[in-house]
This record gives sequence, C-alpha cells and structure tokens, in this order.
Amino acid sequence: MWHNSKDMSRWFRFFIAIGLGVALGLIYGWLINPVEFVDVTPGTLRVDYKSDYVLMVAEAYRAEQDAAMAARRLSVLGNNTPLEIVRAAILFAEDPQNFGDKLAYPDADLETMRLLEAALEAWNPIVETPPP
Amino acid sequence: MRNDNRGPWYLITGLVVGIIIGVLVAWVVQPVNYTNTNPASLRADYKDQYRAMIAAAYLANGDLVRAKDRLKQLKDEDPYRTLAEQAQRTLAEGTFPQDARALGMLAIALGQPPATASLPSVAPQGITASPEISATISSGVTVTTTISTAVATLTPTRPASTLAPTFTPLPTRTATPTQGAPFIVEEQELVCDPNIKEPLIQVLMLDAARQEVSGVELVVNWDGGENSFFTGLKPELGAGYADFSMTPGVVYSLRLRSGGQPVSNLSATECESSDGSRYYGTWRLVFIQP
Repeated sequence: MWHNSKDMSRWFRFFIAIGLGVALGLIYGWLINPVEFVDVTPGTLRVDYKSDYVLMVAEAYRAEQDAAMAARRLSVLGNNTPLEIVRAAILFAEDPQNFGDKLAYPDADLETMRLLEAALEAWNPIVETPPP
Repeated sequence: MRNDNRGPWYLITGLVVGIIIGVLVAWVVQPVNYTNTNPASLRADYKDQYRAMIAAAYLANGDLVRAKDRLKQLKDEDPYRTLAEQAQRTLAEGTFPQDARALGMLAIALGQPPATASLPSVAPQGITASPEISATISSGVTVTTTISTAVATLTPTRPASTLAPTFTPLPTRTATPTQGAPFIVEEQELVCDPNIKEPLIQVLMLDAARQEVSGVELVVNWDGGENSFFTGLKPELGAGYADFSMTPGVVYSLRLRSGGQPVSNLSATECESSDGSRYYGTWRLVFIQP
C-alpha cells in the first residue's frame, strides 16, 4: 500500500486530520453550539412530566366529570390511546423506585388518576362522535 | 520525489472528510432523538396547552403551591403576565371559555403584578391602551361565572402532593373582591386621547383604602347582547384595571356581577382634535368601595 515510510507518514497524518475533524465537529456540536430542545411536542416529555400532566388531567376530570374533554387533553401526549397513557402514568407513579429519596405520589393523587382510568375504561368515543 | 510538492492539502481534505463523517453520524446514523424533554422546551402552542392544563387543575383542586411549581417548569419570564395574556387570547378566540376562566383565575391568584402595573389616575393622558389587547375584549364571548362562585370552588381538597407536600392557602396578591360594601361609581368621564385608537370603556376598581382590586367581574349589556370581563387580566395597566371595546352606535350599560350601582348610556362618543380631525373618546370609570 505504501511505497515508503514517507507515504505511510502521509496516510497516518491524513487519518489524524480526519480524527481531528470529527473531534472538531463534536466539540462544536456538543460544547460550542449544543442542541437546544425547542418546539418539541408533549409526547417527548420525560416520563415524570408526562405523569404530572396526566395527574393534572385527572384533577380536572375529577371536578368536571367530562371524559371526552380528558381524552382530548391526553391526546397531546402521543399516539397511544388515552387509557394507555393514563395506565402508563399510574404504573410510573405507583413504583417507589422511580422516586428514590424524593416524595412519591401520595395515595390521593393515585386515587385521582385511577378515577380517570376507570372513566376512560367506560368511555366510548364513538358514542360521542356526532353523526356526519 | 513525486509527492514532495503536494503541500498540506491532504490534511485539509482529511479535516473536511472528518467533519462530513461527524455530520453524517449526527444527522443520519445517530440522529438527535427528542426524548426526556421538559415542559420549557415545548412549542409555544403546546406550552399554552400545558399552561391551560395547569390552570384547569388549579381550578379543580385549589392548590396554588402545586400550580406555581408546575408553572415554574415552563420557565416563563413573567408567569402572571403570560397567564393573563393567554386568558385574554383564549377569551377572544371563544373556543374554550372554561380554559379562559381557569387561566384568569390562576393569574389573579398568582401574585403581585409588576410594580409598573398601576393606573396612576384617570387623567386624560394617563393610559395608552394596547390596541391588540383591547381588540380581544371586543369578541362576543360571554363568561357568565361569577367570581364569588369561582372562589367558592377553590377549596383545597388534597392535603399533599408530589410537587408540594403541604397546602398553602391562597395568598392575596392585591385586594380581592370582598363581601364588604358594594362598589360605587366615584368618577365617570369621557377622555379624549388620540393615542387610543378605538372607543373603550376603561374601568378602575379601588377598595376603601384606594388599593386596586383584581378579579372583579364586570358585566356589559347592550340591546341583544351581554359580555363580561375581569379586572386584573392586564397587569401592565394595573391590578384593578379592565377595559371593554365598544362598537360605535351601540349603547351599553355596565354593572358589577356582584351587584351595585349600574352605569347606563355608555356609547362611543367622538372627540375633535386641534386640527379638526375626529376620533373616538374613552369612557373612564372609577369604582370605589366606600
């Protein structure tokens, strides 16, 4: 491949330059101008934020008793059904390992979320869809 | 010998190739995956939705500490103003009046408005109303729930929460509507200010200590219509300030939802400037608790 030690040295320096280029790109991308998360959708929220959003919906539902409104509010959290979203949030909230030393969800909040879960189990969106 | 004069171009080529590889890795092989984001990074319309959800939950549970903690996650520069402005926008859109009410109630409960947010007097040059904000008031949205009802709903129901272990009673950010003496009209005048581009009814609510009072619901009636609005939703103009945009040719009457002295025969009235041009004046009303 290399005709002499000079060629080898050139290739070596060439690959060093490539490595340097990659390093420069990463320094630029990670340190100088790192990615800023803006304009993201609620579906990308961290699981604890999603759970808190579900809790908000459940708190509002408890007062309003409007399952359709709750489902509409939950729909921003992704493509899963509202019931699946609530169940995932409850699973997270129920597991004390998710919280470490922090205060876990109190029973009252869990009860509020389960109330919403029960309502969505009984809720039939087809019934609420107006005829064309 | 043949390679000796090629110079350092191969090094630059290597750098460029390296950068291209880096970009390919970053954009194609291992692109950025948006997960584990926080509410502050949400798109503006989703932030609005998140904020409305915080307000709806607050209206349901009355837990202001929890609402404040949640609002902090959005990292708004001035949560009070942001809430108030969103309440105005939502009212104007008319799609979710319950959200507008929740946002307004949370804004009112949230805290002191900025220090600059006072209406110094009802002197003619005192206020330059924001046309944008005033325009929102002119929508046909009717909010019929009274403040007294809303406050009654804000009873704490949960003793503890994940975000706020203890419940703190609602603070009073300024004077709030009380059960005391009814408000009476202290001043009513037509102000000719060419800086105000549309006919307005501007209201200032003061308590007996002449402190501005937020959260007072005012009801405007006209032939075939009714609308209501609250003081304190435009913090930049004062905690006790509210305004309503009039349609020329329509005669309005204004009263407090809680009762008291109504003001009748309010209509868009023209003023004349020194150069002879005509523009609409503004009715300024000051209500006070004796």
